[in-house]
Amino acid sequence: MNPSPPVGFRSFLGSVGRVFAVFFRQGRKARRTRFFFFFSFLPVAVSLVIKFNQIFSEKPGREGSYLFTNLIMLFYLQMIILIVALFYGTSVCSEEVEGKTLSYLITRPIHRAAVVLGKYAAYTVVMIGMVTLGLVFSFVVLNLDRLLDPSLYGLLGRYLGVLILGLMAYGAFFSFLGSSLKRSIFFGLLFSFGWENVIQYFPGSTQRLAIVHYLKSFLPPAPQGRFSFLTFRLEPTSPGLALLMLFAITAAFLALACLFFSKKEYGLED
Amino acid sequence: MTAVIETAKLSKWYGNVLGLSDVSLEIEPGVTGLLGPNGAGKSTFLKLITGQIKPSIGNVRIFGQKVRGNQALFGRIGFCPEHDSFYEEMTGWVFLTSLLKLQGFSSAEIQSRADDALDIVELRADKDRLIRAYSRGMRQRLKFAQAIAHEPEVIILDEPLSGLDPLGKRKLIRLIKAYREEGKTVIVSSHVLPEIEALTRNIILIHQGKVFAKGDIHYIRDLIETHPHMVSIRCSDPRGLAGLLLGEDYILKLHFGPDGRSVLVETNNRDRFFSVLLSSIVKNRLDIDEITSPDDNLQAVFDYLVGK
Repeated sequence: MNPSPPVGFRSFLGSVGRVFAVFFRQGRKARRTRFFFFFSFLPVAVSLVIKFNQIFSEKPGREGSYLFTNLIMLFYLQMIILIVALFYGTSVCSEEVEGKTLSYLITRPIHRAAVVLGKYAAYTVVMIGMVTLGLVFSFVVLNLDRLLDPSLYGLLGRYLGVLILGLMAYGAFFSFLGSSLKRSIFFGLLFSFGWENVIQYFPGSTQRLAIVHYLKSFLPPAPQGRFSFLTFRLEPTSPGLALLMLFAITAAFLALACLFFSKKEYGLED
Repeated sequence: MTAVIETAKLSKWYGNVLGLSDVSLEIEPGVTGLLGPNGAGKSTFLKLITGQIKPSIGNVRIFGQKVRGNQALFGRIGFCPEHDSFYEEMTGWVFLTSLLKLQGFSSAEIQSRADDALDIVELRADKDRLIRAYSRGMRQRLKFAQAIAHEPEVIILDEPLSGLDPLGKRKLIRLIKAYREEGKTVIVSSHVLPEIEALTRNIILIHQGKVFAKGDIHYIRDLIETHPHMVSIRCSDPRGLAGLLLGEDYILKLHFGPDGRSVLVETNNRDRFFSVLLSSIVKNRLDIDEITSPDDNLQAVFDYLVGK
């Protein structure tokens, strides 16, 4: 018989669950969710344009899975999940501080770390819902003529997994930025479009300092063609290690976010 | 009576800025007014006793237990913050039920407690409106509702009366007094003396991060009464009025306004001054346009007391 978890831990998990329930509801109904929902559907519009062009130009275009991997997937991987995770991740802590609603949460019988974990989980589920829906639609549109091919769905599952892992890791990193820095969006943008975009192309072990390196390690090797430079990877890490690293990054930054949020005193003005 | 809240040498610095200095207090059940001008350290004190910030020196105990990080204790405390801030995209009902959920109540309890709290603050009819559409008074009442919805034993209210209309203030004052009757411990902060006077006789004066005085309202009143008051009277014959007042021993100074239509009087006995002024007005049929008190605010009183 498994021993039951200690009361303190169960109560902590209960608190995380309650925070999750409150902020999942709030996250779903927030105005910014509507905005980011449309934003994450931009690749669907691009996919539709490509598909219509293929149909009406009567020229045999690139096959759907090729375009999906090289254009749409990269659109998601290098732009959409970064932006969505940046705004939701930083808001886990900073929206309470900037909105001066923090005292409503920290005067309740819940641990401060439960606030971070509950909100992070709630916003991650909201992000996953938004982004995966767009990805599936794009996939279906670009592969309309091959929808009965079962091998395609394995590929789709892999892509979905990569996006979910990306949202989790980036979300945790940006939660940490939001808990520790005042101008977290600015530094988040620097990280997303500076660090991540540059470091991944450094040779040797430097490339392993970018989260996107581990995400790209799950993608199939880039097929040859004029778009292949987009999926260019130097030396991919093995999928097992990449998965471990992404979980470790997520756990480490979440732990740091919890630590900062528990110890730091926000809004000190009288 | 046993003290519910005890602070010992409580001090807080924000870097080099002093927030609160060496505050040792024992607060018993009933309503205690925390009175001080803006920036005096009232909110810092309330944040310290609710465990939102950590003291630089000293400690706080509520019901004999340490506060900071004591989640079990937070269930027994209700806090109404000063800032007019909410989750604006929530309705009043969702806001209240969400915070009750965080308290750990069951769904049925959440419904009934939220209903009760909304009834108390008379917001039931507007519960499904978005908070951003609420008036300032409604928002203030909602803030109060979230502080009392879980029926805490200690209620801490930071400037709860600001933004309320006179009727709203009267209702809230009545409510707070009802909590005193129930034996709860209520701390109310304000920078407006009459508001605190209407609530309680037990006052803590706080200024520049220090407790300046603590005690019954009469003691505080006596301190304040010794403060010379300035009164400006605008009338048709300021020189005639000045002549009538000049012989009184409680008049310290008399000036004429630059417009030549007002007289500025400094007195050390405001009650006697007003009594004589009123009888002089009636007896001499003086036309009075306006009577104002340029320094009738708490800051002036504190400046006087601190400089004494």
